[in-house]
Amino acid sequence: MAGIIGGKSVVVVGAGIVGAATTYFLSKRGFHVRLIEASAPASAASGAADGAVSVASKRPGPMMTAALRGIALYRELEREGLFAGLFKSRPTVMVAENDSEVESLLGHAAALAGEGMRLRHLEGDALRRRLPGVAPHVRLAVEVFDEGHAIGYEIVRRFIAASGVPVERDSPVTGLAANDAGTSVAAALTAGGAVEADHFVVAAGGGSAALLGLSEAMRPRKGQLVVTERAPALAASLPGSLMSCRYLLSKDAIRTAGEASGRRFGLVIDPLRTGQFLIGGTREDRDDTGNDHDAVGRLLAGAVRLMPALARLRAIRAFAGVRTAIRDGLPIVGRVPGFDNLFAAAGFEGDGICLGPLMGREVSRLVGGEAADLDIAPFAPGRFERRNLVA
Amino acid sequence: MARPAEIVCDALVIGGGAAGVSAAVELARAGLRVELAEQRASLGGAYHRQPSGTTATTSARGRRQWLRLTAGLAHFAIAPRLRHVFLGVDTDGLGLLDDREAGRVRTVRARALVVATGAVERILPRPGWQLDGVMTAGGLQMLLKETGEAPPGEILVAGNGPLNIALAADLVRLGRPPVALVEAGDPAKNLGAALRIATFPGLIGEAARHLARTGFAGTPWLRGATVTAIERDGARLAVSIEDRRGGSRRIHGDMVALHDGIRPNDFGLPAVSIGEPIVVRAGDCREVLGIRGAEADGIAAAREVMALLSGTALHRVAPEVSRQRRAQALLAELFRPVREHDGLRHLPDETVLCRCEGRTVGELRAMLAGPDPIGLREVKLNGRFGMGVCQGRFCADAVGEIALAARPDLAAGPLSRDRWPVRPVSIAALAAPDESRGE
Repeated sequence: MAGIIGGKSVVVVGAGIVGAATTYFLSKRGFHVRLIEASAPASAASGAADGAVSVASKRPGPMMTAALRGIALYRELEREGLFAGLFKSRPTVMVAENDSEVESLLGHAAALAGEGMRLRHLEGDALRRRLPGVAPHVRLAVEVFDEGHAIGYEIVRRFIAASGVPVERDSPVTGLAANDAGTSVAAALTAGGAVEADHFVVAAGGGSAALLGLSEAMRPRKGQLVVTERAPALAASLPGSLMSCRYLLSKDAIRTAGEASGRRFGLVIDPLRTGQFLIGGTREDRDDTGNDHDAVGRLLAGAVRLMPALARLRAIRAFAGVRTAIRDGLPIVGRVPGFDNLFAAAGFEGDGICLGPLMGREVSRLVGGEAADLDIAPFAPGRFERRNLVA
Repeated sequence: MARPAEIVCDALVIGGGAAGVSAAVELARAGLRVELAEQRASLGGAYHRQPSGTTATTSARGRRQWLRLTAGLAHFAIAPRLRHVFLGVDTDGLGLLDDREAGRVRTVRARALVVATGAVERILPRPGWQLDGVMTAGGLQMLLKETGEAPPGEILVAGNGPLNIALAADLVRLGRPPVALVEAGDPAKNLGAALRIATFPGLIGEAARHLARTGFAGTPWLRGATVTAIERDGARLAVSIEDRRGGSRRIHGDMVALHDGIRPNDFGLPAVSIGEPIVVRAGDCREVLGIRGAEADGIAAAREVMALLSGTALHRVAPEVSRQRRAQALLAELFRPVREHDGLRHLPDETVLCRCEGRTVGELRAMLAGPDPIGLREVKLNGRFGMGVCQGRFCADAVGEIALAARPDLAAGPLSRDRWPVRPVSIAALAAPDESRGE
């Protein structure tokens, strides 16, 4: 299989950011790609993400390494022109409101600095000058440089347009069929028939669970977000996204008192290119995409507490997305054991926008018979026991 | 998950016009605990709303209706919640009301909702419709009602339907006849419909009075004609008008009032539901039937709610509703535009389509012309159509129509899903402590 790749065919399942990126990089390598999507491009998590292209919230380890590389790729693709106008470079400002948050933020900042991240601490007058809109009770801010923001559905659209591959919409893949020897995948099964190819990439977010036999390892994690009307002056007063330290706690799955229901609240206030604010988000163990007043009210109350002038704005839209989380907090990227031509890239939880382009490129290398450019061993699909893979 | 709510009742009625008040009274008569929410500072809806301290301009029949309805409210001690704007129903099944007086959102646990939010004007996009000085005929009519005078300058009224004639008559009454009344239909020639409509005495009587008043004031009534462009010309507006034979002329004015008919005000509202919370619609919000159908339809909606609450399905039958449906169909025929509707194919590319985000017809067509067969949600997200403050309230229909004209294979569907908030809402109001949360 290695060697001649020109003209080889690949089926990519899922037109979210990971599948779209994979399609783009495979097309560049000369593969003939069919991109098969259950509904429409960016219709799940990629289209309802907060858009953080960020290392700030990561802990040292494989995810931080990957995030650093993910941001570097955004910059590279922006320089090349592919992401022209889509990537907003800006810092992430993490803030602490009380003693325990200050302690946790100081520790986190030290860890980030230890990994070579550029950052600075802001307190007292310096904090007020840099963040005039932030409430006086905020004790400490850590500005993490070299981060960015991108809107998931815009990136997906750009990748797809540049790849020239038409998306096969409304076409759920219901299963994968093995060859007679059971060593390769022969076809992806859809209502329109079996689609044969030389290689298969499953990048279907939560839809990957059934196809890969990983239902035990994957779970939905809903996030609710709010968009405000335009307020360019106020948005310009924030150098970057404002992230409450609570976000770290939320990621660590420490449950807020009184939230036994598996619902945690992070808080990020992101000034968008349009002059609007994106305010998010919750982490909930459920898979619907509705909004409830309780969650939206709490999110916004937290936002106003951090940035009081937000109270004067109007919310114009609330929405929710469902991330796909993996039991151990790490995504699934790599070749699926047992099959020589099946690859997976899914389960990025809240990091799909940051990592999607990078992982798409990595998978395209694997499909092309090359070694990954990043250490993806921690993300190996084989680390979980699988059930019912392949028809 | 049953989250606690601030207000608990059997039925929440949204909208204090004739349909909503009639539904609320009928539900209370059946012994239900009813809450009535109205977004304005007074009840009345589009028809019965009057500026404070003036005598009503509605007919004696209309005044009797309103007295009867408000007497019902008083009898059943229904205290309407005024300045409460309905935001939608959340995933916990709670109705959300933006209490503009108190500056906070209130949650309502109701077993049923009757949505009676009336009608809105349909305004077709035209080049220049986004300019200052262009407003809707209904908006101008409301301004006349509330201030008792016309804004300064010459006014041109254009579009389609009987409301434009009523507006012209109101302007004549105020001593300010419009410079022209441009009508896409030709009701004067549509004799068959005119004769049949005469069997609905109220309708034809009003229209005839309006027409006579406008005609005697010397306002040109240009029938079978459409406004093709509005341009700024110094401090004034230049309006290009095309007649049925393709001839064109320009008329100058200081203000243009547009109106192309009315449609249910159902944008973004929760879907009709027979499971709790039951959601039914009443009055023009369900089907445009006008004031004569509203009261009967409110009663029918209330009976439907009671039937659903008791576990039986009810086929809504109301003779007055059927009668008004026939009347509306005749009106539509009478005012049927002379030119066939072309799915907005005639609009030039530079026409602004989404006024909030400044997106044009050409940008929409370009998105749909690519090799990748993108869908409506992708058009919305990537093209920002319907992503502005109004969330598509004013452009969704036109976007859908132009998209379908360009790509007949597109699956028809709403540009926006029914999500709350259906109206922009102050963050302070959403973030206000919810008393039911015990904060």
